[in-house]
Amino acid sequence: MTSLSLNNVKKHFGRTEVIRGVDLSVDDGEFVVFVGPSGCGKSTLLRMISGLEDISSGVLKIGNRVVNETPPARRGVAMVFQSYALYPHLNVRDNMGFGLKVRKVPIDERARRVMEAARTLKLEPLLDRFPRELSGGQRQRVAIGRAIVGDPEVFLFDEPLSNLDAELRVHMRSEIASLHKRLGSTMIYVTHDQIEAMTLADKIVVLRDGLVEQVGTPRELYERPGNLFVAQFIGSPKMNILPVGSVAKALPVRPDSAAHVGMRPEDLKLTDPGSGLVSGKVLLSEYTGASSLLHVELPDGEIFLVAYDGPTIDADTTLGLTIAPDRLHFFDSAGQRAS
Amino acid sequence: MTASLTRRRIRIINQICWTLALCIVAIPFVFPFLWMVSSGFKSAAEIFGSPSLVPREWQWQNFIDVFKHQPFARQYLNSLYIAVTVTALTLLVSSLAGYALARMRFAGAALVALFLVSALMVPEEVTIIPNFFMMRWAGLVDTHWPLILLPTFGPQGIMATFLMRQYFLALPKELEDAGKMDGLSRLGVWWSIALPMSRPALAAVAIITFLNSWNLFLEPLIFVSSLDKFTLPLALSNFTDPYGMPLWHLQLAATSLAVIPILVVYIIAQRQIIESFALSGVKG
Repeated sequence: MTSLSLNNVKKHFGRTEVIRGVDLSVDDGEFVVFVGPSGCGKSTLLRMISGLEDISSGVLKIGNRVVNETPPARRGVAMVFQSYALYPHLNVRDNMGFGLKVRKVPIDERARRVMEAARTLKLEPLLDRFPRELSGGQRQRVAIGRAIVGDPEVFLFDEPLSNLDAELRVHMRSEIASLHKRLGSTMIYVTHDQIEAMTLADKIVVLRDGLVEQVGTPRELYERPGNLFVAQFIGSPKMNILPVGSVAKALPVRPDSAAHVGMRPEDLKLTDPGSGLVSGKVLLSEYTGASSLLHVELPDGEIFLVAYDGPTIDADTTLGLTIAPDRLHFFDSAGQRAS
Repeated sequence: MTASLTRRRIRIINQICWTLALCIVAIPFVFPFLWMVSSGFKSAAEIFGSPSLVPREWQWQNFIDVFKHQPFARQYLNSLYIAVTVTALTLLVSSLAGYALARMRFAGAALVALFLVSALMVPEEVTIIPNFFMMRWAGLVDTHWPLILLPTFGPQGIMATFLMRQYFLALPKELEDAGKMDGLSRLGVWWSIALPMSRPALAAVAIITFLNSWNLFLEPLIFVSSLDKFTLPLALSNFTDPYGMPLWHLQLAATSLAVIPILVVYIIAQRQIIESFALSGVKG
């Protein structure tokens, strides 16, 4: 186990700056998830930590060592790739033991560590198979096994579940969570899947355009988003945002600096038309099983999303929407949280 | 039941028709080869006297005389070791150069690629005189070095480099990243990951290079003058009487012997050869 810190870390590709000064600290044994829209730099940042990408400026420390110039294999990190990156010409046993072989670990020790990892991941019956003979989930387990055998200080996961189907993804997610619990290692995980981020993370780092927008626990990010971007990025369906002016009369109290008000779809309650915070007409009702997602058009044309678990509501029904005052989120004109 | 029998009958008739058609089409391709082998067993007079594929009298002596006429065993060995050396060297150079061009970002990479492509556009015959002067300056005339160096670093080597480059470009980059995470150097990634994954391309390069080197005629003709340094294509043209007239029975017997390694390679690696022509886009 070890901690990790990034101090004003930047990355340029030619004239393009993709990581624009990231400061972050990751504690011993912490599970940190990088999330953000495509192209925000989360995978680049992970590759910089792994050593696969150079750091243009700033300082990266793993433990107490500055590792900016340290080759990947000497950083004490292991990486699980999105495409698994298993060597197709080697069987599972050799895939898992390859890194140890390169590091000239004695053959007995290598075999012992491979067996140990295989036992942990229930891969023993598959050791003599080749990657092409494995299912997606099995390949993913082998990729994780390959990371485990090296006994790294930090595990790096680059969207490891994105190639799996929905059911397998849920299963592998719980396996990764239990692996983290069992090993207690520091893990950094990149995903664009919010459910993965919320369920796995001790700490989520939201990135946008190469900058950290907010760092916090899943609950903090969901309940107290630091700005409009995080408010709308975290949570599915995303938060509804309105200018404060359009609902000013209906708002009981609000901060002086508030320019926007945010309401999560699951916090909104239905009421009679004209009696709530806003009123609107149902455009579409999407039944999702556990609940329905209503698309409500407000008089100014704005579409509000409402999570609703009552009886079916037909399109064109007019209704009012209300919300508990403590579930409102206010943001100032710069988009920062107003309190 | 009846319908299935009828279907089976139609399938069998279909197969017979196709086989017959293919046999007929194959005759022009196979006949010269059969004629060559059978003529190797005929006397010089019978070759042009009888069109039959079966010799009237089997002249086994032809195959002994081939070795008496000139140092044919030595020449055979020359061809074999030169072809093997050129193949091994080409595999090494083309895979290293191809990997560098495919995966390494270095100043002037595009220029290097452009130079290589330009070199491909110059016919070999045009460069043979400057090459001769270069080899003479290096003191390599009448040695086997030109027959090894020119194919390795000449147009055939460049073709092989491009073939390898294209193959390496298609390999997933994440595998190389995984290799680096496992502690491999750049050369280690090439050796332990890129090469084992490029077996089809390596097989293609090996087969094409071996065949080219085995059949090389112009370079031996220009660079080699000693009889014991001849390679097979040159040796085959040397079965002549004192007046320079070809001794066809010996020439055809020797040619029959010369195709043996090619036939062996073809029988062993039939599938890879067909794949290699598909992969490289060259004809056999």
